[in-house]
Amino acid sequence: MTAKRISRRNFLKVTAGAGAAVVGLSPTARRVALEPFVRPPESELPGRATWFASTCRQCPAGCGIIVRVINGRPRKIEGNPTHPLNRGKLCARGQAGLQVLYNPDRLRNAVRQNGGRGSRVFEPIAWNEALDQLISKFESLSGPGAVSFMGGLMPDHLYALVSRLLETLGGAPPVLFDLHTALEGRAASVDLAARWFGAHRLPIYDIARAQVIFSFGANFLETWMSPVAQSRDYGDMRQGRIGGRGFLMQFEPRLSATAASADEWMPVEPGSEGLIALGIGRIIVEENLGRAGSHREHSLMYRNVGVGDVAEASGVPAEELLRLARIFTDVDRSVAIPGGYLGSLPNGRAASDAVMALNVIMHRLGREGGVFLPQEVPAEPFSLPVPVSTFSEVENLIERMQAGEVELMLIHSSNPVYDLPGWSGFQEALAKVPTVVSFSPFVDETAVQADLTLPDHTYLEGWGYQVVSPGADRPVVSGQQPVTNPLYDTQSTADVILALADRLGGDVAAALPWRDEAAFLEEKAAQLSGSSIGIFNARTQAGFWSRWRQNGGWWSENPIRQEPEISRDLAQPLEVPLPEFDGDPGEFPFHLMPYETILLSDGRGANQPWLQETADPMTTARWGTWVELNPETAARLGLANNDLVRVISTAGQLTAPVVVFPGIRPDVVAIPTGQGHQDYGRYAQERGANVMDLIAPSTGSVHWGSTRVLLEPVGRKAKLARLESLDGEGRESLR
Amino acid sequence: MTDERSGSRFLRFWWLLVIIGVLIVVAGAIFISQRAALAAPRQPVDFSHNLHDEAGVQCLFCHSNPLRSDVAGIPSVQRCVGCHQVIATDRSEVQTVLGYWERQEPIPWLRVVEMPDYVFFSHQPHVLAGVSCETCHGEVGQMSVALPTVRMDMGWCLSCHYKQPEEKIARLADCMACHK
Repeated sequence: MTAKRISRRNFLKVTAGAGAAVVGLSPTARRVALEPFVRPPESELPGRATWFASTCRQCPAGCGIIVRVINGRPRKIEGNPTHPLNRGKLCARGQAGLQVLYNPDRLRNAVRQNGGRGSRVFEPIAWNEALDQLISKFESLSGPGAVSFMGGLMPDHLYALVSRLLETLGGAPPVLFDLHTALEGRAASVDLAARWFGAHRLPIYDIARAQVIFSFGANFLETWMSPVAQSRDYGDMRQGRIGGRGFLMQFEPRLSATAASADEWMPVEPGSEGLIALGIGRIIVEENLGRAGSHREHSLMYRNVGVGDVAEASGVPAEELLRLARIFTDVDRSVAIPGGYLGSLPNGRAASDAVMALNVIMHRLGREGGVFLPQEVPAEPFSLPVPVSTFSEVENLIERMQAGEVELMLIHSSNPVYDLPGWSGFQEALAKVPTVVSFSPFVDETAVQADLTLPDHTYLEGWGYQVVSPGADRPVVSGQQPVTNPLYDTQSTADVILALADRLGGDVAAALPWRDEAAFLEEKAAQLSGSSIGIFNARTQAGFWSRWRQNGGWWSENPIRQEPEISRDLAQPLEVPLPEFDGDPGEFPFHLMPYETILLSDGRGANQPWLQETADPMTTARWGTWVELNPETAARLGLANNDLVRVISTAGQLTAPVVVFPGIRPDVVAIPTGQGHQDYGRYAQERGANVMDLIAPSTGSVHWGSTRVLLEPVGRKAKLARLESLDGEGRESLR
Repeated sequence: MTDERSGSRFLRFWWLLVIIGVLIVVAGAIFISQRAALAAPRQPVDFSHNLHDEAGVQCLFCHSNPLRSDVAGIPSVQRCVGCHQVIATDRSEVQTVLGYWERQEPIPWLRVVEMPDYVFFSHQPHVLAGVSCETCHGEVGQMSVALPTVRMDMGWCLSCHYKQPEEKIARLADCMACHK
């Protein structure tokens, strides 16, 4: 036995450490500062909560929220129980909105980059000076087309003001693009409705009253379109309020949470969805299935379709197609939903047509549990939802930037440097623009490439409204109002635009005469006053405006929807070409399926730690990027959970740990979007990888589902934070 | 052999000293923290409750919400300046307050009385039931510096709740009355 001596020094260290620990752990010694108001707002009673009705801005759905505010500080966000879209419910992203407001990485004042773009050396700049700079840029433009505005999920009133400004100046209209709307195929859905019904509106699928739903890649319980409203509707459909339990059939290569909630999940090969829909349609028309009457008028649409050919091309046998056709036609109320994933495929447009055709041949347009178009809000400012630009319009903008035609670029609520794949050339084109101004409240990848950043308020501090689209069962305008005073020295971009117009004078000032955005909103809201269908009315404009804010917007008292009228020539045959994927199947054996998670969405949620640490519903993974592999594929490549794997496409590569996931086809690799930020705050940056780096070039639209990849084991492990493992690894289990 | 034994005895002696030392520090820390709990914190302004009470200012004039809210409320800076715009403006403490007002900053008062966060406490029902401020807060009007006078633990709460009329005790002594 060797004696260990304790030196006097160690003795003192131990006692001092123990003493410090005891004192530190003792709660009674804590002192808390109580900061009273300097001037208490009249509405505030300390210790009592005030609730404000507003609109969630974490995704484009436009759910109504109510925010609990104590002592002027928002504490909790809930769904607005009277709002017809989400009816009191709210998703995790909506709940996490407080972390947008209180985010420690918010810009606290206007800044400019002194060391040049990308230097990340931000110097505060006074607002009046920043505005002076912006005005002098406007005044020194060589022509009206030299200013461009790029937006994303922005409040409708800001869109209206900016459009008016650009129109008066004679410039091109704003381009609206963000990754989320591209991934959910918003522009493609509008295009689909335009092709079939001649209406540039998002169609509404009546999930609540359908008896059978065939969802072709529509992840409608997680991220697609309006997930909270659709989840409520799905609950209604499954709990038998329609006189029986509805049946959901999900066609997609990966088991999403929607597929997991479905009665049946068919893991179809990417690109075969449209072929399957075509085969089902052909069988229905040929065998005259269903109780919808004769299908003679539809037979021309299917004249080029052979069931045998479709079965062979899609890998789904003819008997299986017949079974599906029977499921779809055995009830009165069935609906087929073309999801956003279809739009990402090389044959996505034709596939969406084939799916919509199923609704047409079953006469599901304008019927309970079928397809509807939204009813317009009966006042001019709200008659059209903000249009989403197609990728072609973005390409056009990039070309103009490349050609040096854009001298001033304004970017709001969009992060194109992160969102757009490198091959789009956006960043290089942006470098050619002499002045770039960002309105982001955060230093995101695009703000780093801007000369001037004039942070807007976050949505809990700002005004706005949103025409809800795709709507609920009725016309809805969600109202947004500040629930707290701005925490920092930020300014509403709408007010910046109005101040700019005022200073520019002339026609522009005359076109934008409002004192501030609230005056604009009050005036516009009043145009709905007197409408016979609204939930409220008032005698004066001020009274109407106050009811508007109390309710959190305006909506119709009763459901009203439009019946779509077919504008497509039904004699025109349907054809779904075989998909062509990027990358040779021999060299790149796997399909890449990027998907949006319910938490980080397209990456805008990555700076909110609540969303980062919430487990993904299917894999329970968090705080990173992972590569989902079928157990069979993983075994063949000798890969297990947490093994790093390099995913290589013709466009790029990334390295991430493996999640062995039984809910995926063996020939498909799924990677979630949202990580791999270089900037965007401490929680987001330098975490995981950006799957958009792998997407192969395409034109017209981002075909994010049409890339093939190759997998290379790296030979190392990286432990991914997971709530649990699917195979019980590392956990004791009862035997 | 002998060396080793003497060595281990020596070690044992040191360990004993360490343990005694730790115990003394722990006991000291507990003593100090208990004292600290009932001590007056050093406030940003040397505010005298005594002086204001003598001037005839009621508790509810500054702490205005106990009748209608869970909390009594710390007065806003505006409330202080309402009087001190003209009263005793030459005093250095008043000038400190006016300085906060000029900078439009809140005064970071330190909390004197604190309930743990697992206790739901509301001033409103207590004050409406006729409990005076002094019952719980002591004779604050006599204090130059506000001090916590009682340790607000559960036994202390119940000592009063049990004294209430019989028909109310079941409700007032229910766990869920305070631990919601």
